[in-house]
Amino acid sequence: MEATVLDSWVLAEFETPDVLVDATRQMREKGFQGMDTYSPYPLHGGSEALGLPPSKVPFIALCGGLTGLTTALAMQTWMNTYDYPLNIGGRPLLSLPAWVPITFELSVLFAAFGIFFGLLGLSRLPQPYHPVFESDAFRTASTHGFWLSVPHATGQDAAAVIDQLKALGATQVTVVTGEKE
Amino acid sequence: MAETAATPLDPLEPRDLIPPHHDDKSLNETLLDHVWRKPGKGWFMLFGLTLSALGLLVVGVTYTLARGIGVWGNNQPVGWAFDIINFVWWVGIGHAGTLISAILLLFQQKWRTSINRFAEAMTLFAVMCAGLFPLLHTGRPWFAFWLFPYPSTLGAWPQFRSPLVWDVFAISTYLTVSALFWFVGLIPDLAALRDSSKTKLQRTIYGLFALGWRGSGRHWHNYKIAYLLLAGLSTPLVVSVHTIVSFDFAVSLLPGWHATIFPPYFVAGAVFSGFAMVITLIVPARKYLGLRDVITDRHLENMNKVILATGLIVSYGYMMEHFIAWYSQNQFEFWTFYVNRATGPYAGVYWLMIACNVITPNIFWFKKCRTSVPIMWVASIAVNIGMWCERFIIIVTSLSQDFLPSSWGIYTPTWVDWCIYIGTLGLFGTLFLLFLKFVPAVAISEVKELQLELKHAAHQKSHGAH
Repeated sequence: MEATVLDSWVLAEFETPDVLVDATRQMREKGFQGMDTYSPYPLHGGSEALGLPPSKVPFIALCGGLTGLTTALAMQTWMNTYDYPLNIGGRPLLSLPAWVPITFELSVLFAAFGIFFGLLGLSRLPQPYHPVFESDAFRTASTHGFWLSVPHATGQDAAAVIDQLKALGATQVTVVTGEKE
Repeated sequence: MAETAATPLDPLEPRDLIPPHHDDKSLNETLLDHVWRKPGKGWFMLFGLTLSALGLLVVGVTYTLARGIGVWGNNQPVGWAFDIINFVWWVGIGHAGTLISAILLLFQQKWRTSINRFAEAMTLFAVMCAGLFPLLHTGRPWFAFWLFPYPSTLGAWPQFRSPLVWDVFAISTYLTVSALFWFVGLIPDLAALRDSSKTKLQRTIYGLFALGWRGSGRHWHNYKIAYLLLAGLSTPLVVSVHTIVSFDFAVSLLPGWHATIFPPYFVAGAVFSGFAMVITLIVPARKYLGLRDVITDRHLENMNKVILATGLIVSYGYMMEHFIAWYSQNQFEFWTFYVNRATGPYAGVYWLMIACNVITPNIFWFKKCRTSVPIMWVASIAVNIGMWCERFIIIVTSLSQDFLPSSWGIYTPTWVDWCIYIGTLGLFGTLFLLFLKFVPAVAISEVKELQLELKHAAHQKSHGAH
């Protein structure tokens, strides 16, 4: 059996979203990597403060949509033109205008699946357990708390990180330990 | 300087959308309160009522399945009746939900934030009710998978030139995408429920549905764009769905059905009835849930304006139908619109439709009516009745008297038809009451975000004025 590698995170709560975004930016400028913010609603300027690259969700959605489009066109053409042709009043067997509604619907359906599963995949959800949940105070992150996590993996001393976070306006700071991600 | 700096606030966005005395914590308590509180007597009474109506659905469906669809009133020449009327009616009601959540989001109409969750739930339940009707009308719903292209031993495929097959794809796509949209919007609020739960059972159940959401900035980064994209997709979807529903009629050759105006006219009618249904439901719900601070009179007034606008489009649709019937000088069209519908055996339903759909919405020209809760509530019910009558008129009159007088016939619904119709109202009500009990009826994370934006805007404004 493989031994569990333990890691620790410093969690800091801030008063308002603006202070949190500001603190995140300053911590990143000091060279901290792999930080994350936690808030009940999206932070304005939060992605920029974390230095995240553009989201891949739109690209996945486009791929889903194109898959739906080609699937629908291929399906209808093969089924109604080649495999089981039905001559109704002499209408052409390849009647593309009549294929449009289903092509549209399937494109939307597959794009929506792309968005949904893309979102879950990129966020690695569902993930019922995460070390941050070890802290009881952290439960406010989904209601009215604004948190920042700094992974300890980069080698800085935890005490130093805590001092810096407090200097940036953190109202409470804790350290949680859990399995390495 | 002072004049220009004093307007960073969107002129369409007065501050009283959410009263300023709320902060994130108090919003949370207000909006989650109804989930944690034990439901009151009123809730149980209503639940009993909707549950008994649901019982009628069970009776109606069981009897239909045991005896076959011959127990319904529709027969030659009226082969489509309650099953399609109710199907179109329910789908139409559902459309307002998508419109509110998607189109208003794209247009950045911030007032939608307080009502979108509510309206999306309505969509979901309405589409479920709608789906029941064509499913039962197949006669043997356990073979409903025949509608989908699957490699059967018969070696046959569906006929993709038929609007009825388009319907299958449109409705199933619509139900799936609406459910995904609703659920994605719900995830942060489910996490809020998980984290403010009192017992372990609640925490486990809400935690399960929250998928481990922790409000991570990296997740929000993808979430924001995913939600916006789903809204962007839903917008053309909702238009396409009702367009396809209208094709079921427009593609045929029957007088009164064979009209190119059908797609836009159906979509407008759907929005019209859907917004009316939102008013019908939200007026009592906001009182019961104590949400007057979040769903304000301004929200209701805005919805009434939409009802007025779409009501006028629907009236224009009626006018055009009558104009084309005269202008084409086609005797069958002329007969359908001017003789059969207006003076025929179903004239009562026709004039009720005109009264409810053409006359009623015009009261919303007056601010007094737009802002009076009792008046709008009665008017919204009238619109729902009117839109049901519209579908009845379109479907039944055209079928009962078409080209040959020798093949005319009169349609009357049977008790089974009524059981199933009232039953779906019960199903809808039951699902809705459960929704109000177990899930936050207002999108909490979005309201908090809006609250912050409004505060920022107000802050800038007060600074700019100095």
